Amino acid sequence: MGRSHLGEFEELVLLTVGVLYDDAYAVAITKEIASQSGRSVAVSAVHKSLYRLEEKGMLSSRLGESESKRGGKRKRLFNITPFGKKALDESMDLRMSLRNRISDLAFNWQRD
Amino acid sequence: MSKRVTIPKIPHAFFRWYCKSDRYEELHGDLEEFFFERVAESGLVKARLLYWRDVMRCCQPYAWKRPRAYSNSNIVMFKNYFKTSLRSMMRNPLSSFINVFGLSVAIGISLVVYSFVAYDLSLDQFHENKNEVYLTTIRADRNGEEVRYGLSPTPLGQRLEEDFAQISKVARVKDRSVVIKNEDKVFYESLRFTDPAFLEMLTFPLKWGNEDALQDVNSIILSESMSVKYFGQKNPIGEDILVKFDDEHRKIFRVAGVAEAFPDPHIIEFGFLVNFQNLKVADPSFDTANWADLLDATLIQVPNPGDLAAIRAGMDKYRALQNDVEKDWKINSFDFELLADLHLNAGGIEDAISYDYTEPGRVILPIIALLMVFMACSNYINVAIVSSARRLKEIGVRKVIGANRGKVIVQFLAENVLLTFFAMLVGIILAYTLFLPWLAGQAALPLTLSPTDPNLWLFLIFVLLLTGLASGIYPALYISRFGVTRIFRGSVRFGKKSLLTKVFLGFQLVVACITITGAIAFTQNTLHINSRSWGYDQTSALYTSVTDKSAFDQLYAAMSKSPHVRSLSGSGDHLGVVKSQAVLRLPDRQYEVDQLSVDAQYLETMGLNLQAGRNFKPNPDNDRQSVIVNQTLVENMAWANPLEETITIDSVRYQVIGVIEDFHFHSFYSTVKPTLFKVADEQSYRFLSVRARQGGEKETYAALKSEWAKLFPEVPFQGGYQGDVWLGFFEEVDIQERFMKVIASIAILLSGLGLYGLVTLNVAGRTREFSIRKALGAGIRHIGSNILRQYLMLSVIALAIAAPISYTAINANINMLYPDPMPLTYTVVGLAMVLLVCILLAVISTQIRKVSKSNPVAGLRTE
Repeated sequence: MGRSHLGEFEELVLLTVGVLYDDAYAVAITKEIASQSGRSVAVSAVHKSLYRLEEKGMLSSRLGESESKRGGKRKRLFNITPFGKKALDESMDLRMSLRNRISDLAFNWQRD
Repeated sequence: MSKRVTIPKIPHAFFRWYCKSDRYEELHGDLEEFFFERVAESGLVKARLLYWRDVMRCCQPYAWKRPRAYSNSNIVMFKNYFKTSLRSMMRNPLSSFINVFGLSVAIGISLVVYSFVAYDLSLDQFHENKNEVYLTTIRADRNGEEVRYGLSPTPLGQRLEEDFAQISKVARVKDRSVVIKNEDKVFYESLRFTDPAFLEMLTFPLKWGNEDALQDVNSIILSESMSVKYFGQKNPIGEDILVKFDDEHRKIFRVAGVAEAFPDPHIIEFGFLVNFQNLKVADPSFDTANWADLLDATLIQVPNPGDLAAIRAGMDKYRALQNDVEKDWKINSFDFELLADLHLNAGGIEDAISYDYTEPGRVILPIIALLMVFMACSNYINVAIVSSARRLKEIGVRKVIGANRGKVIVQFLAENVLLTFFAMLVGIILAYTLFLPWLAGQAALPLTLSPTDPNLWLFLIFVLLLTGLASGIYPALYISRFGVTRIFRGSVRFGKKSLLTKVFLGFQLVVACITITGAIAFTQNTLHINSRSWGYDQTSALYTSVTDKSAFDQLYAAMSKSPHVRSLSGSGDHLGVVKSQAVLRLPDRQYEVDQLSVDAQYLETMGLNLQAGRNFKPNPDNDRQSVIVNQTLVENMAWANPLEETITIDSVRYQVIGVIEDFHFHSFYSTVKPTLFKVADEQSYRFLSVRARQGGEKETYAALKSEWAKLFPEVPFQGGYQGDVWLGFFEEVDIQERFMKVIASIAILLSGLGLYGLVTLNVAGRTREFSIRKALGAGIRHIGSNILRQYLMLSVIALAIAAPISYTAINANINMLYPDPMPLTYTVVGLAMVLLVCILLAVISTQIRKVSKSNPVAGLRTE
């Protein structure tokens, strides 16, 4: 199992899977990320991240029902695993702790 | 939606192709969802484009099918094949060596032959207009036989240009021997008079100067080598050079161009080019409207090849014109030969500007290469079959664990291609380091094998596959045939009784016999030619050409003082150098003969033997109306009493006063032609012949040269020993002999190696049998005869077949080269066979010796 830390885009995908609980599949995730972040996202990038996260054990997946708008094909739905939540929390904690360690002085640009 | 929207087919198919099947449904479902949404939002066109983009973007490792290699054992198996074949090659160094060496020699020879044929086919192929330029040829009867000539009547070129709009350019060509002088450099050279179109039709780019220079009648264009010869490395443009056409006519030309060095594979070339009109300067009597006069070549350029038929159809009127003027030598028809084909067809065209000196090589070399490849392949097949006995277990095991017959065949073929590949590497090295330099040196041809030649690579691949498959397919089929149970039960018996093995060995013996016969025959032929009479006494005779009568007189006076000179003679023609033609008018036909104009001393000086009648009288006026003829002429005319006959030349009657023994004017390559001698007009003396006293040849030669240099410092000396006039011929005869010897050695080597391998393996396979025989008291004679018997019948049959084949093949070969060669006797074939039998016995006796020396206990214990 390759690296255990999260890449920026992977983290975004992992978060979105959580947000879209029980309806998290590639198309919905792509759209959600696009609308929330305002940047254009390729579905292939999302695919790549989803499969990699599943390989790392941070996501679990199952096949859904077949739908006519998908040409009768089933979609793969993803859920966060406990390991995924842990990775997400660790990542968030790391950020928060670093953010909190920044002294106010660093943001005080009117000093001189 | 009025129309059903569907997924674009092409990208969809691509997606299906690369996408692994277990992810296809979910992945393509996503793409389809996007696609249909986009159709609704922004239209079909944009949706299609974006679908294309998505398919391309999804083409990533996560979606790919796994490459087949990981799931299939083929590559693994091939690795194993190569490993086992390398091991088996190492285990049998003898048979591997025989195979690799034999194949590499054969491949090396093929490569050299390829180089020769490629060179031959590329001769004169660099001309850009080679498919538009034609040489005009004529057909005329010569002593009842129609002969094609590359010559053409002088006015033809001009008329063709005027009469046919389809002809874009015409170049007339006339060559003359002249003396060219620049400061102290004076040499006889061949000067080419031609039209300016010559340089436009043929691709001879100029190094200096420009091609229009030929328009100017005072300009001369030099070849690169002539420029170096006369002017050194400097640029000679603008320099003056003197051309002496003959004693009275000379002209100073200005150098206006120097051609680049001619490309290597070329025949048509030139030393000096001047405008055609200069012919009038060289010879004021030259008449461009004279149909009886012949030019060396008339080249035409026809941009559209389809027009040639029309031109051909319109040529008949020129025939009438020529026939009106020249009644003695009528042209039957005109024809054209494309420049691109000229070299290959030049063998059938006499006096053409191109010629075909490579025909024997073109015919014989590929045959030799094929024979060698066949011999090497036979070796391989024989050795492979016999040595595969050691690998039966391996094949059995492979079959048990699931290899079918096809797999075993593939294994053996792969092994074989590997071996052939090794052989090819060695063969390439052999070709580059040994064969190619040798052949190039012998044939004096700039043969090369350029790695940048794409055809060479194609040829190599072709040779690899051909020899690989030819040698491998039969052993592979043969060995893969045996069933598993038979292999393990040990009931497989083969090798000894294989008919094919015997056929191959027999074939090798036949080829070896042919080549040995060839080597002996050519050696004998060389001896024969060297000792063969020329029909006159060429030893201690010398000659020199002179410019005119006064030069002759001065030199004659100087040379007659020399104590070493026995006799001196003047002539207009000279044996082995220059002759003229005469047409005899017979009641029913015309008869073309060679003619030599000589003085009364000529026969004695040159050692020609008078058979009947008398020589010319010392005073030339007595015999103006007399001729001496050679035997061939007498025979052809069927004269019973030649001395009472008369002949008519140019409506003058001549009395035959003598018959001379046949002599060879040219080398032994050509037959003796009917020839007559006439008394030369003193003004036309162009040669001084000298017979030196025995032992005084060197001094005479030195005297001749020094007197010449004293008298005519401006004119180059052109003469020498009479024995040297065929120098090139004797060199060629030597080359042929050496070539046949080398080929025979290689053939002996290959067949000897093959036989050695076969006998060794056979004997090794019968170790137990021989050991038991020895243990039971068999002597060396018994065992020897046992081994010999196996090859006795085969050799007898092979030699019985080989004898007539060798005889006919070598006879045909020699006859192709010489018109009246030394008759090939069966002694030569017999000698070859004795030699071959000795080699056979030597090879077999090594094995008999080995068996007789071996300890039978050791042979039995190994089992």
